[in-house]
Amino acid sequence: MAMAGAPAVAVDIESVGLVFGVRTDAPTVALQDVSCRFEPGKVTALIGPSGCGKSTLLQIARGFLNPTQGKLRFVEVASGTETTRPAMATVWQAFNLFPWLTVLENVAFGLDLAGVPRAERDARARKAIAAVDLGGFENKFPRQLSGGMRQRVGIARALVMEPDVLLLDEPFGALDAQTRLVLQEQLSALVETSGTTAILVTHSIEEAILLADKIIVMTARPGRVCDQIDVTLPRPRSYATTHEPEYRILFDRIYGMLRDEVMRAMIIESQGA
Amino acid sequence: MSMTPDAEPKPRWKWYDDERVLGWGSVALVIIVWEVAARVTGVSSLYLPKPTQIVVSLIEMFRNGALIVDLGWTLYRIFAGFGLAIVIGTGLGIWIATSFRVRAIADMFIAMLYPLPKVTLIPLLVIWLGTGGPFMLTISFLGAIFPIVINTVLGVRQCDPGLVLAARDLGANAQQIVRRVLLPSAIPSIFAGIRLGLGVSIILVVAAEMVVGKLGLGARLYLSGQILETEQVFAVLIVLATLGIVVTKTQDFIDKRLGRWRLV
Repeated sequence: MAMAGAPAVAVDIESVGLVFGVRTDAPTVALQDVSCRFEPGKVTALIGPSGCGKSTLLQIARGFLNPTQGKLRFVEVASGTETTRPAMATVWQAFNLFPWLTVLENVAFGLDLAGVPRAERDARARKAIAAVDLGGFENKFPRQLSGGMRQRVGIARALVMEPDVLLLDEPFGALDAQTRLVLQEQLSALVETSGTTAILVTHSIEEAILLADKIIVMTARPGRVCDQIDVTLPRPRSYATTHEPEYRILFDRIYGMLRDEVMRAMIIESQGA
Repeated sequence: MSMTPDAEPKPRWKWYDDERVLGWGSVALVIIVWEVAARVTGVSSLYLPKPTQIVVSLIEMFRNGALIVDLGWTLYRIFAGFGLAIVIGTGLGIWIATSFRVRAIADMFIAMLYPLPKVTLIPLLVIWLGTGGPFMLTISFLGAIFPIVINTVLGVRQCDPGLVLAARDLGANAQQIVRRVLLPSAIPSIFAGIRLGLGVSIILVVAAEMVVGKLGLGARLYLSGQILETEQVFAVLIVLATLGIVVTKTQDFIDKRLGRWRLV
């Protein structure tokens, strides 16, 4: 939800590599020579076999992990000049809601930290809660909600910060298939209307195609960029989109690449590497 | 075993299913049996005074003010040291839990001092501090601090790292992470530590009073025993037991209020 008129900033990953346990006998190469660009106002999906480092790449983009090689840059698209980190907010696979706070307090948490006065904070939080269809649940605690509702709180908590870049770390990975479908459609609608930059890490090809403008397919460990695919399916997309011929072609293409990588990942794992 | 249907509308109240009746009733029963036994056997009140005698003695001690003064002193000594232990204990616990170096250092001292029975420190503390206020404050503090520190460290270390990440993501600095995430998530554990700590504080202060005090419940207990005023000994024990109940129930109440999110 970048402000209208605010300069559009792209997130550039430049030849990034990350090695865990450099000083140990068995260092793990998580990422190797990864270069990609997350375009402003676009949804980019990162997809790959488990353990390929896609969540790690997200943590690097967020600034929570430093790459051991290469760098992370933020570039103003219009002028091409480097700029400071844009505002970011994350939606987590494990929801990570504060169990001792109510829905309203969870959503208002970031605004509270930023020193937004109470009245404004509550008003904005209530609006965000309403946007994810949770009006009436403001005073419930997370454990009183279902998984799908909890993740909607997670989405509201991120969106209320009006981030320039929204990071989605397997946001629906912990949900059942039906809830997942509904939330994918809802998030798709939210993302389309807000025009925010989003990075989506997912296991699900379907989720990647439904939500993303560009899909980056990653290889098994060490994670490298295998292919970058533009998704040109018209928006708004919904479950019905999955019946389009273009969807099937994309799905098969990505599945073909992933299948090879997953097989490779299984071999690597069985060798105990 | 016969099946009881779940849909049975309100089960009939039975006294032997009621928590309060069972709890208070059994206490009452013991007192009645005691009274009757003492009367029937005619045992000397020097060894076992009748509950009615004890109550008379208790009322008399409250009326002449002696017991109130003793209770006041004991409470003051317990809570001064205990209050200090809560503040310093949680602070220290958070520091130990969040800093590798502090943890490495503190671990050794805790391992040495925690298992040491604190009453064994009374002679040394009397040499250093005398038998006045500073001594009592220190003994009460030492009783409470270890369980509080240890449980705070445990609680903070058990905090879900995902919550810390989420808070950082929402813009929390280190201090805000401690205050807004680590501390609240450790509250149940910290409370368990406070509960244990207060128990040890009470024990130590009363024990210290018995050894060195002229005022306080422990001193009163010891002196009454010395002059064979058995009713007074029991009266002080009743006050101490009541103190235990009040303290435990108050902690339960606070625990429930602060832990509302765990119960809903």
